[in-house]
Amino acid sequence: MTGPDYLAALLLLAGALFFLAGTLGLLRFPDVYTRLHALTKADNVGLGLIVLGLSLQSGSWLVAGKLILIWLLVLLAGASVSHLIARGARLRGIPEWRR
Amino acid sequence: MPDLYHALTLFLLLNLGAGLWRVVRGPTAADRMLAAQLFGTTAVAILLVLAQAGGVAALRDVALVFALLAAVAAVAFVRRAWPQPEDEHDRP
Amino acid sequence: MQSRNPLRAALPLPRLLAFALVWWLISEGAAASWSIGVPAVLLASWLSARLLPPQRLTPSGLLRFLGFFLLHSLLGAVDVAQRAFRPARPLNPGMIDYSLQLGPGLPRVFMLNVVSLLPGTLSADLEADCLRVHVLDADQDNPAQLAQLEARVAGLFGLTLP
Repeated sequence: MTGPDYLAALLLLAGALFFLAGTLGLLRFPDVYTRLHALTKADNVGLGLIVLGLSLQSGSWLVAGKLILIWLLVLLAGASVSHLIARGARLRGIPEWRR
Repeated sequence: MPDLYHALTLFLLLNLGAGLWRVVRGPTAADRMLAAQLFGTTAVAILLVLAQAGGVAALRDVALVFALLAAVAAVAFVRRAWPQPEDEHDRP
Repeated sequence: MQSRNPLRAALPLPRLLAFALVWWLISEGAAASWSIGVPAVLLASWLSARLLPPQRLTPSGLLRFLGFFLLHSLLGAVDVAQRAFRPARPLNPGMIDYSLQLGPGLPRVFMLNVVSLLPGTLSADLEADCLRVHVLDADQDNPAQLAQLEARVAGLFGLTLP
């Protein structure tokens, strides 16, 4: 393994850690709103780090650009979907958890 | 590097499986809908890692379509499959 | 005036370039794919110009926004992650109202989406100019952070907030 390989491996592992955090939050957080926070944010950054690591490994600007495009698409979809779910949950009177 | 890719794929898959517990458990329809989000990001990550590991460029296109479909599925779910609030209030 | 020329109005050059770039990336540079790509790019540009009038993005605003967005995404994700990992699960969620300065239209939709993407905040509802935001930690100065974000979004679209 060379220097860039180590950097890519580090990025991939960090991405995996954020996915784990997202899943933990999804399982442990107390209501649908806080779970949305955990899931969308941690997973988006996790995917971003994995995309960065893979871009380094691909050795091609074209593939790197395509990976970033896919990431942006997931971001856009995630933002719209989490807004829709949060808004729908409020409309249907799903209560928020308070400390 | 190939070992790392495969370990990463397995790890993400386990993540996805663990997240499904929330889908089964609920308790509200909104919680189950989080599955769309979970699949949208995790499956895309798995597909992209596999594309790089196996040198299969077509899997990146699958990831692209997956990202699109996850969004469409979630919107359809919220708009169509989720009972409207009026239905609940209309009941005596 | 750019819109005097009907061809330029129907197919704005920035859109053509943007969609061509997207196609080039999606097809991973395959030369043969342009037989489908050229009609697709033309159709997408024409449709997008009809659905959304040309926007004025400022390059310096874009750079500043990107830096802000990436940094805060990462910081916020670390914050959410440590809340998820810690056994005590420290959370203090709340719902706050934020009155938007940005007018209706694309900048506002963009703002709504970015609020949902940046960790710690989730846009839950929009009524008139009032954005209802679900926050993960009500102890933080969330309105100040939202105001900072709104200024960056305004800068991206070359607007100045009142």
